[in-house]
Amino acid sequence: MEYYTYVNIFETKGLEYLLLMCFFALFIYLVRYLSGPGKKDSAPRDGSAAGGRMKGAGH
Amino acid sequence: MNTTAIGTSEFNRVASFIWQELKPRGKWLTPFNVISIPIILLGIGILYFRFVYGIGFVTNLNQYYPLGIWIGFDVVTGVALAGGAYVITFVVYVMRMEKYHSIVRVTVLNGLLAYIFYAGALTLDLGRPWHIVNPIIGNSFGYNSVLFLVSWHFLLYMLTMALEFSPVVAEWAQLEKARKFLSGLTLGAVIFGITLSILHQSGLGALFLMAKPKIHPLWYSEFIPVMFVVSSIYAGLSMIIFEGTISHKVFRDLLAGQDHHRYEEIILGLGKGAAITMFVYYFFQALLFIHEERWELITDAWGYWYLLEVIGLVLIPCFMYAYAVRNRNLGILKVAAVLALLGIILNRLNVTVIAYRWYDVDKYYPSWQEIVVTLTVVFTEIWIFRWIVTRMPVFGKRR
Amino acid sequence: MDRRRFFATAGTAAGTLLHMKKSEAANAKEGKEFVGVLVDTTRCIGCRACEVACSVAWNNFVPDVKNDNALDHRRDTSDKQYTVVNRFKTEKGDVFVKRQCMHCWQAACVAMCLVNAMYKTKEGPVTWNGEKCLGCRFCMVACPFDIPKAEYLSWNPRIMKCHMCYERLQEGKKPACVEACPADALMFGQKRELMEIARHRVYSHPDKYVHQIYGEQEAGGTGWLYLSAVPFDQIGFRTDLGTTPYPEYTKQFLVSVPLVLFGVPALLLGLSELSDRKNEVRESEGWTETGADE
Repeated sequence: MEYYTYVNIFETKGLEYLLLMCFFALFIYLVRYLSGPGKKDSAPRDGSAAGGRMKGAGH
Repeated sequence: MNTTAIGTSEFNRVASFIWQELKPRGKWLTPFNVISIPIILLGIGILYFRFVYGIGFVTNLNQYYPLGIWIGFDVVTGVALAGGAYVITFVVYVMRMEKYHSIVRVTVLNGLLAYIFYAGALTLDLGRPWHIVNPIIGNSFGYNSVLFLVSWHFLLYMLTMALEFSPVVAEWAQLEKARKFLSGLTLGAVIFGITLSILHQSGLGALFLMAKPKIHPLWYSEFIPVMFVVSSIYAGLSMIIFEGTISHKVFRDLLAGQDHHRYEEIILGLGKGAAITMFVYYFFQALLFIHEERWELITDAWGYWYLLEVIGLVLIPCFMYAYAVRNRNLGILKVAAVLALLGIILNRLNVTVIAYRWYDVDKYYPSWQEIVVTLTVVFTEIWIFRWIVTRMPVFGKRR
Repeated sequence: MDRRRFFATAGTAAGTLLHMKKSEAANAKEGKEFVGVLVDTTRCIGCRACEVACSVAWNNFVPDVKNDNALDHRRDTSDKQYTVVNRFKTEKGDVFVKRQCMHCWQAACVAMCLVNAMYKTKEGPVTWNGEKCLGCRFCMVACPFDIPKAEYLSWNPRIMKCHMCYERLQEGKKPACVEACPADALMFGQKRELMEIARHRVYSHPDKYVHQIYGEQEAGGTGWLYLSAVPFDQIGFRTDLGTTPYPEYTKQFLVSVPLVLFGVPALLLGLSELSDRKNEVRESEGWTETGADE
């Protein structure tokens, strides 16, 4: 049996764009987080500090 | 005349060399051998009954569950886990990150063997495997079929990976000219291989697009192909970490010359890639969750099962990867890899077997014979892998 | 593929591209219009003569209709029988429903088959060719009606399903089940005509039938059509299949495959060029043309 009523097939679009904005915010945070704790502090001072730290963790 | 003589002596040399190499080496009574040999023998026995009396004789397949774990695990999951080969060749040959060069050979070998065995396991499941050449020879091209594309892509990708790996074989057989020639083809093979991988990883998902009324709506969406490609990236990366960890224990002597510190850097880099991919994949899932209005479906057992997969085995390992990379914690990195792999296995099995016809009372579950045959496939692959890495310069070191 | 067939195929393809409607009309004129069967469940008496006739015609398992009490429980078509009749207890009494392949207009099993073993003939029946079949059973996955059945206990399994007696149709006969029906519940003909008859019955007896012809739209429309006195979900039909032809679900993917094959290799080659340190122009070389030539 056929019913003719209006169905909005794009009802969730607004929510989807909200999710997208959350994603951007969190993604930037994730990438910054992944680039490590040492680098940001040590890079301006001395490039070898980060390297030394890595070696230390390796052994 | 002269060239023929040289050719013959060359052939004799290679033949006797291969004969030497075929002989087993090392200890026989390792725990792996003790477990795997009986299982492989049992599996071969089961396969005899399968080919003589039919698939139904050894499996729990029925008219409503035409695909079991031979397809759902061996083929669909196995191919996803073999995604590492295309990811690593992309990183090394296209992006030219030299840091990862040392794991290319072993990853491509793993990928090639995985395809040969897991896609090869497809023939065990075919009712009429002797017709397997039909989609390749011209008499019956089903252009309209996703399966047609997937089978062609499997075939072409196996050839491509064989080409990518062939310089190693040439080096092993001491055929210097062939090695140079084959090395020259690598970039072309890599580019073709990555394209094919994108297509058949997604194609495996597209196979289930027409099963719309049979797959639980939490797992079905028109974007299954996209989800399969994206998840195959982190599946491949996690598999490299997992497999590398085992290789480092088992083949310690082969890796003796390698810098352990450099290897650590490599797997931390892979973990970083996996963390980012999983994060994106999680948001893909979240988008589908909203787009398909799935919140109505997560209040029952199927909903919890879905949340276990998406949060427990995607988001949590994603965070663990991120934590492990930031704090250079290899233990957590390995746990994250295992969880991520479990998530992939669960996802593929959900689409193909578990959430397939979720409304049925009599669900399919694999028979013990199906499990034994699956283990046979896996163990045989490991045997071949072990044979190759102990003989060919896979880990980058000549004997 | 010989040359004549190649040209025929190429011609059809070109024709399809240029004027699709016209070629559909042309097909109809040449007698290639789809045939089907109209099943009026209000007329079916549950004698199961169709089951017997079908099995006799195709050498399948012939049920012992008098003694097997098969109507007492729900059955499905199997690898031994192409068609079965089920009894449903409804508010309007016992309803008998014959079940077999629906012969979809755009069949999922045909679109799934990688060797054209499942084949939609131009007359409408969906047939199976054992010379080509791999036995991959993806037709069973794709079929929204769960019709194809595999012979699991055979070293050389067949896929068993109704093919609307395609061989009989070519001899000018009707399907065996239609011919055997003593109650006039089955009517064979072109789908267009059957639809008109079905609508006529519904409109002239609005209280007797539910106002739906199952198969008109389901899964994109099927060759077999059903009329019923009670809602279709009460007599074993899935009503959640939608009206989209199932092959449409894979259409986008199939189109994107050549797109990826065109685009991605070029993209990867470009990336590889960009990442190649050898191509970097050293500062001393500047932006001269000779530098670019190297």
